[in-house]
Parts: sequence; structure tokens; C-alpha cells
Amino acid sequence: MFTLVFTSLLLAACSGPYSTLDPAGPSATSAAWLWWGMFGFATVVLIVITLLWLYAMRRDPGEVDQRDAQRVQNRWVIGGGVVLPLASITLLLAFGIPAGHNMLPLPLEDGEPARIEVTGHQWWWEVHYPDTGVTLRNEIRMPAGVPVDFVVRSEDVIHSFWIPRLGGKLDMIPGHTGVLRLQADEPGTYHGQCAEFCGVAHAHMRFTVEALPPEEFQAWLEAQQDD
Amino acid sequence: MIAPTHPMQLVVGLILWSVWFVALYGGLSVGCAVAPPAEELGAANWLNLSLLVLTAVTLLPLLYWTRLCWRAGLSSQPGSTDRFIALVSSGVHLITAIATLAIGLTVLTLPPCV
Amino acid sequence: MTEPGPRSAEQIHREFHQVWRNLPGLGTLSAVNHTSLGLRFMVTGAIFFLIGGLLAMLVRTQLALPEQDIISPDLYNQIFTMHGTVMMFLFAIPILEGLAIYLIPKMIGARDLAFPRITSLGYYCYLFGGLIIFSSLVLGMAPDSGWFMYTPLSSAEFAPGPGSDFWLLGVTFVEISAVAAGVELTVSILRSRTNGMSLRQMPIYCWYILAMALMIVFGFPPLILASILLELERAAGMPFFEVAGGGDPILWQHLFWLFGHPEVYIIFLPAAGIVSTLIPVFSGRPIVGYRWIVLSIILTGFISFGLWVHHMFTVGIPQLAQAFFSVASMLVAVPTGIQLFAWLATLWTGRVVFNLPMLWIVGFLIIFVCGGLTGVMLALVPFNWQVHDTHFVVAHMHYVLVGGMFFPLIAGFYYWLPHFSGRMPSDVLGRWGFWLTFIGFNTTFLLMHLTGLLGMPRRVYTYEAGLGWDWLNLLSSVGGFIMAAGVAMIIVDVLLHFRFGRKAPQNPWNADTLDWATATPPTTYNFASLPTCSTRHPLWENPELPRTIEQGEHGLTEISHGRRETWGSEAVTGKVTAIFHLPTNSWLPLCAAASLAVVCISLLVRVYELSIVGAVLAAVFLLRWSWENGAHPAMAPPSAEESTRDLPLHSRTHDGPGLWGMVITLMANGALYMSLLFAWFYLWTVSPEWSIPDQQPLLMLPLLASGILLTVSALDFRRITRHLKAGRDSGLQAAFWRIALIGTLHVGLLIWVIAGSSLAPTELAHDAVLLFMLIYQLFHSGLAVILTALQARRVHYGYVSRHYPYEPVVVAPFWLYTTGVFWLGFAAFILLPMSWGGAA
Repeated sequence: MFTLVFTSLLLAACSGPYSTLDPAGPSATSAAWLWWGMFGFATVVLIVITLLWLYAMRRDPGEVDQRDAQRVQNRWVIGGGVVLPLASITLLLAFGIPAGHNMLPLPLEDGEPARIEVTGHQWWWEVHYPDTGVTLRNEIRMPAGVPVDFVVRSEDVIHSFWIPRLGGKLDMIPGHTGVLRLQADEPGTYHGQCAEFCGVAHAHMRFTVEALPPEEFQAWLEAQQDD
Repeated sequence: MIAPTHPMQLVVGLILWSVWFVALYGGLSVGCAVAPPAEELGAANWLNLSLLVLTAVTLLPLLYWTRLCWRAGLSSQPGSTDRFIALVSSGVHLITAIATLAIGLTVLTLPPCV
Repeated sequence: MTEPGPRSAEQIHREFHQVWRNLPGLGTLSAVNHTSLGLRFMVTGAIFFLIGGLLAMLVRTQLALPEQDIISPDLYNQIFTMHGTVMMFLFAIPILEGLAIYLIPKMIGARDLAFPRITSLGYYCYLFGGLIIFSSLVLGMAPDSGWFMYTPLSSAEFAPGPGSDFWLLGVTFVEISAVAAGVELTVSILRSRTNGMSLRQMPIYCWYILAMALMIVFGFPPLILASILLELERAAGMPFFEVAGGGDPILWQHLFWLFGHPEVYIIFLPAAGIVSTLIPVFSGRPIVGYRWIVLSIILTGFISFGLWVHHMFTVGIPQLAQAFFSVASMLVAVPTGIQLFAWLATLWTGRVVFNLPMLWIVGFLIIFVCGGLTGVMLALVPFNWQVHDTHFVVAHMHYVLVGGMFFPLIAGFYYWLPHFSGRMPSDVLGRWGFWLTFIGFNTTFLLMHLTGLLGMPRRVYTYEAGLGWDWLNLLSSVGGFIMAAGVAMIIVDVLLHFRFGRKAPQNPWNADTLDWATATPPTTYNFASLPTCSTRHPLWENPELPRTIEQGEHGLTEISHGRRETWGSEAVTGKVTAIFHLPTNSWLPLCAAASLAVVCISLLVRVYELSIVGAVLAAVFLLRWSWENGAHPAMAPPSAEESTRDLPLHSRTHDGPGLWGMVITLMANGALYMSLLFAWFYLWTVSPEWSIPDQQPLLMLPLLASGILLTVSALDFRRITRHLKAGRDSGLQAAFWRIALIGTLHVGLLIWVIAGSSLAPTELAHDAVLLFMLIYQLFHSGLAVILTALQARRVHYGYVSRHYPYEPVVVAPFWLYTTGVFWLGFAAFILLPMSWGGAA
């Protein structure tokens, strides 16, 4: 019962239109899992180290000769200072590198991902569907359930394209073109925002994302083209 | 050749590490700018392989110095400055070698230019 | 003249004080004494901390509730930019430098730092630079692009007002101060330790400061270069960071973080040094794993230069390159872990006194470990992409900086308070201060991690209600005000202690290091006699030291010559080899810094004629400063008494601190040049619209001829210096004039090359970099010629000869550097591009 209440409270605290802890796509999901794993591990490390320190400050060392000190040194410094960090790093990378690899816009096994071009302006988003002539403002429509490559650029200063519930962000840099692969697992409305400080109206530089079932998306795109 | 008890030993391994690190990052960037390997190859391509070889070559002197300084340290008079410098240097070289290995091994896992 | 019979301690004090005291009244502004200037650095830093804190309170007020408009977005941007700038550049670094300036000579048993006038110059550069930056806020035109000033948001097009100029010029001014402190701390630690204090016997704090100082020497030049380049782009239109002209905004990020990441460790290391000093004292035993700690200091110093890209994981660099920096970032946990567990082992084996400073150390531990752990998380690229630029990063950064710097600083502050004032702080108020700060801090920033995970970006001036951020922000603001109350409590405690604190006994904490062998508060000369020291714990092994030092029972007690003196020793063994004679009170640093401030301000208001006047004035003051050296009557004129002493004055040798200072300064200079080379190669390979002129814009033959003349001068100078060291000085003056003449020809040719070239520096980044390189060269060549001509004059006055070979030895590396840079530049900027098919 308690667990149930606790879990639902936790979930309520973690949800939100921009919450990375309420993932709705594969990239965001693996980042969220990484977070929970690291959070648990780090909490244990923090508590253990703090307790060890407090105990060390209170304990009576008795008579400590040179050899005892050497033994304590080897135990703590080599065990805690060298082995513990190296083991933690190895563990972290074992999960982290595959997770990062899966987020890359590598060629798909079958077919091409959909491409949507987004250009940052002070302080709005220009969304363009290549080869169609369709352009939107501060609104993105994308097919759900399939990977989409967002091709990001900037027209003025540096912005950063971020849809927290779908995945990580990518900076939009004048003169450069970046590709960010995201996927929305389910149709629905998501929210995005500029993450890199870009001037006076940075706080208001937002957009909405409408993920549609692929057929519906295709129909919408064709309807737009016809207009 | 720097003597194993010379204070330069404290930093020479790390200077080599810095040069290696610059070469690693610079080599990758220039490689990707000049002749990027195909994305389909993943981590198995000429660029990653060259960086791996570079890493291996850098490891050799680091491991050699670790051993050299360790022995010189143990054979120096206890409580002397020579011993202090040699033993600290040995540790620095060893951890530098571990750092080189850990950073260098990432070329086995990821494609170079994506 | 020797005194008849032994002198009493009071008599010694009177005589020393007469020589070492600051001038009375306003004359105190001419002080060069490290104790006075260290305290001034710290007090100024503390005032800037309060200003920065006030700005943070404004930020927290604005963000306390959603959709507030207490502060306009424009002003808000100025406030958060200034909060970061003030805390980083005007508080954290200067106050730690100030503490090091105050403590280092005392810990190594010296009477002052190696270059006292540089201490003073550094202080005034910091003060004036700080005032310039701060004045922008008062004038309502503060920089508003964030404290890392990303271009193009900070460039002329998107930030047309003077805000960015204030930042670029002011921060560069302050950085001069930091580099000056870096050079002089390095030289002092290496060359002015008391007799017998070998490297392995140095107090551990000195290792930390040595590493910090050298990191400043290599870490600050990239930002100095970047700031100069951006200011040139803004003022003169040279497109270093502008895509259309062949520049690249990412170059700014690289140069900034090439400085910015080491800077975090420049702040952390001295603070960790405080922790490593306090823990053994309050455990009543030597630190466990001294060698391990030295090892981890060295590792941190280097590895922290290999992490800068982890601030740039979202700019779209290939993931493999990101992986290098990611793993390097995680590896920093190893040296940090070693220190953490060495401290634990020391506590484990000691009998710990849990008093106020230790309370702050425990606070440090909890907060810093937490910050370190989130740091490892941020180093993981796929996670970083989610939380980068959110409040998660804001929280992490404050955990690291407040935990890793502020808490140890306050611990150290309480520890050395009796040293500063001679009085003990109040335990009760101090504990209130700690708990309020600790609870307030964690309330503010622990929750902020979640705010970031829920998607709140950093640097937004407001947010909508109902995104799940409301209660978190409100609690963060409440916590911020609790923390402010804690800081207020500390201030009250300190102010009251001057009036009500009980008198501190000698060495109140039973510490082991020589800093507690001085009087409290210390005398201007620290030690009446300089003890030989062959242990890491002089005061534990010989508790009588303070008394015997005061009574003049150790070395270098002669003062009748009226010079300020301290020992000069070998870098590794600490064996004394010479006597460093130090300058007395001087107005020159203040005048030089004031002239530089004129340059800075006139550049800001774009009255370029005035800036030339200021630059000339600064040059005059600095050259006058260099004139009052060595055997000059104002410094150490020849005297009969010096021949009766066992050790030579350093200006009579050819291995004085000046040579070391020159070499370390050239390292900083070299780091700047390397950053320029990096910029060149970076733009060449990465810049999206990089283009090169059709024809080689430089006159090749005159350039080559100019290089040959330069090489001839430098080799000639080197030859003369060698002769001088071997004791031959016939024709010395003529030789210096000859070198100056050939050097002048070289400079003339170089000017011809610049004037006759077809560079278009405002159109092409390529040409802008080339022009910058040429002007850099011209500055060095010109300076080398002037210094050589001055040497010739000094030979004439008898200040330089085979008896005084010191100064040419100092100038020689400068000639070599200038020549080296010329040919390196020739290869990198001209030959190499030719082979790539650049303009020939």
C-alpha cells in the first residue's frame, strides 16, 4: 500500500510537459533509465562516504604506529580512491556507450528516416518539410512510432532544439548543420523549447509537437502540399 | 633521457599524455574533415585503427617509466627526496597509463565521425 | 656594521619594522608587502562576493513564483550574467589568490614573495578591472550574454551596446592580475623556501598552490586571447567568430572552455589545499598519504586540461570525440577520490577535535561529494544531452563551486582568523552561520536538480505556471534567503570578534606549519630570523620555534644595510644558495595599473587617442620599474658589507628569481601563442565559410630577411650572455648597442611587411589571424630591442657587468622566445598552408 502511494507520488512529481523523467521516446527513455540507475548508485555512495567520515571522526584510534597508518592508507586510498572510481566508471560506460550509440543518426537497416528541417530565429522556430514546400511556425508535425531526423540550423545566434520527453537536445549554430534523431513512441502532443540562452525572449521560445500515426501524417503532408 | 629521480619525471608522462590527447582529438577531427570513413563500417575503419595504434605507442614509454621510477624509488635511501620523487612519479605514470588506455579504448566502440 | 652584542627581541623588531613597514597614511597605497596585499585581495574579494550574492537574491526573487515581472527580461539577463562573472572572476579566484599570497611566504619560511611589486600591480589590476566591470551594472549597461559570452549573441550585431566590451576589457584586466599572481607564486614556492625545506617537506598547501599557479599560467591565456579577438571583432570588425567572414562561433566556445574547465580546478585545488591543511591539524597527526596527495594534485592539474569539450557536448561534435572527453572527465574522479580517502584515512587514524572549522569541512565533504557525483553523471554523454543547459547543471555547478570552494574557504577563514586578527571567533554565532548556510544551500540547490530534470532551462527570466516547476522554485528561493541569513551571521560573527573575541594564544590550534610561528597578527617581515627546516612538521617537532625565531636565534638577522631580504634556495632540495633582496614600497605598480585602467576605459568609450597615451604611460612606468633593479641605488647598490657575508645577493648571481619569473611568464605567453595556433588550424579545418586570398598577402622576401636579422640578434645576445656568465665583459656596452641596432632593422622590416601587405583583415578571418600574428611578433620584437638598449645604458651606469650578470641572463630567454615564435609562426602560418594548397 505504502509502496503504491509512494510510487504514484513519485510519478506525479516526475510528470510534466517538459519532464525528462516522463519519457515518450526511446532516447528519452534510455536517458531516464540512466538517470535512475546513476541516482541510486550515487545516493548509496554519498551516504556511505558521509557515514564513514562521521564514524572516522568519532572513533577512538587507539595507538596508531607507522605500520598501522600505512595499512589504513593502502586500504582507503587504493580501495576508495583508485579502485572504486575506476570500477564505477567501467560500469557507467558499459551502460552509457551503447545508450549513446543508439541515439546516433546512423543509417537505418531498412529505409530512410523522415527528415524535418528546423531553423532557429530570435525568437521563433521555422519548420520545413524538405521536397514539399510545407513550412510551419512554432509547430512541428511528425509521424509517431518511427525515427525522425531533425536537421537543425540557425539564422542568427545559437539556439538549442530540445523536446525533453522525446530525447536530448542539439545546438543550432550559425553556419553549421546538425542532425538529431528522435522518435515519439505514441501519437500525442509534446512540447519543445530553446535550451541555449539566446537573448531577451529566450524564455518564450517554445514550440509544440504533434505526433500523428504515420498514415495520418502522410495524409496531412499531402493535403498541405495541395494547398 | 631523464633520470628516474629527476623532478621532471613528475610531469613528463603527463606532458606526453597531453600531446597524445591533442593528437587523438586533432587526428580524429582532421581525419573526419579530410577523408571520413563510411558510417556503415562502425568502429572498424582506418581512422579508429590509427588512433588505437597511436594509443598503444603512447602506452609503451608510460609503462616503461612506471617501472623505471618504481625500481629507482625502492632502491633510494628511505626518507630521501630522490625516493619521494621517483615513487610519486611512478604512480603518476601508472595512472596516466590507465587514463590513456581508458580514453583510447573508446575507439573500439563508436564510429568516428557521427 | 654589526651590532655590539646580542640584540633583544624588541630591538630586532624595531629595526626590522623600520625597513619593512608600509608608508603611513595614504602612503599605504604604495605597499608591496604580501601580508597587506593578501588581506586587501581577500577583503576586496569578500565585498565582490556580497555584491554577487545580492544579485543571486534578485534572481531568486524573480524566479520564486511563476510569471512574475518584478525584473524585466533585459535587466534579468544583466543580473545573471553579472552574478556569474562577479563570482567567478572577482570573488573565487582573487580571494583564493589573496589567501595564497598571504600564506605562502609564511608557510615556506620567507619574509615576502619573490616579486613584491608584482603583488601590488596584480592587486591594482584586479581592483580597477573589478570596478570597471561593476560600474557597468551601476550604469545600467552591464553585459547580458551570460558569463561565458557565447558569440554571436555577444558580438556587435546582437549586442551592440557596450556591455560586452565592459566584460571583455574588464575581465582581461583582472586576468592580468591572476597571471601575475600565478607567476610569482610559482617562483616563490620553488625558489624562496627556507633552508633545507626540500620538495617533500613542503607543507601540502604549497603543492596545491604550486599546481594552481601553474594552471593559471597555462589556463588563462586562451581566454585572454579569445577576449582580445572578440574585442577586435567588435571594435575593428575582424571576423574571427563570424561565419560570413570565414570565422566560427564554436571557436569562441573552444577557447573559452579551454580556460573555463581548468578554471574550475584552479578554484578547487587551493580550497582542497585548505582541507588538507586543516584535517591533519584537527586530527593531531600527519596527513596520511602525503605522496598520494601530491600525485593526485599533479594528475588533476593535467587531466583537467583534457575535459573542456564536456561543456560542449550538444554542439554536434562526433560522438567518438565526445567519448574521449567524457572518459577523461570521469577519470578526474580518481585523483579526487584519492584525496577524499586520504582525508578519511587521516581522520580514521587521528583523534579528531570537532570544532567550528571542522564543521565547515564536514559540510564541504557532503556537498562536494554530491557535486562530484552529479559531475560524473554529466560526463555521460547520452544523459548530458538531456540535462545540459537546464537547472540540473546550475545545481551541479553550485554544488561543486560552493561545496568545493566556499565551504573550505570559510573553514580556512575561521582557522586563520586568529592569525589575521590575533583574536578567536565566537563558537555560537559561527555554528548558527554554518547551519543556516548549510540548510539554506541544500534547500536551494538539491531541489534544483529535480527542477532541471523536469525540463526547466537555465537563464529563463520567468516560467509558466503548472509545468511542475512552481513549488520547486519557491522552495529554492526560500532556501536562498536562508543561506543569505547564514552568510550575514558569519559577517556579524567576524565583525564582533574584532571587538569581543578573546585574545588568541600563540599557535591556538596546535598547528604544525611555519605560518603559525609568526606573531598574530603577523609582523611585516614575518620572521625576525629564518629557521632551517628539515621536517614537514616544524612546530610539532620544535614548539619553541616561534620564540627562538623572534629572538633572532636563526639565520639572516642582519638588517643594518636597510634592505628587505629573504633566502633564495634551490628548487628541489631547498638548500640556500643566495639572498634575495626585495624592493621596498613603490608607487610604480599603482601608476602602471592606473595607466592600464586609462587604456581600458578609453577603449570602452572608443577614444583611441587616449588609449595610446595610456599605453605609453604604462610602458614608461613599467620600464622605470625595470630600471630600479639590481645594483641601482634604489635597490641594492654595491656595498662593502656584502663581501663579508657567506651568501651572494641574487643580483650578483646568474640564477636569480628574475630568470625563473621570465621563463614562467614566457610559458604563459607561449600558451597564448599556442591558442592562436589552435585558432588558426581550427578555423582552417572546421570553419564553414573559411576562404583564403588568391595571392599570398605578405611580402615574402622582407619577411625572411627580417627573420634572419632577428635570429642574428638573438644568437648574438645569447653569446654575450654566455661570455658574461664566464666572467668576460669587455665591449659589453657596444655589443648591446649592436644587437639593439640589428634588432631595430628587423623591426623596421617587419613594419614594412605589415604596411606593404595586401591583407584584408575586416573581410577575411584568414587575414585577420595573419595580421594578429604579425602584430604579436612586432610587439615582442620591439620590446626585445627596448630591453636590450636599456641593458646597454645600464652597462654605462655600472648596473650590469661581470659582477652583475643577472639582468642579461633574464633578457636572453625573451630573445630566444621571440625568435622561436617567429620561425614557428613562419612555418605554421606560411609554409604549412602553402603545402595544403593555400595562397602561395
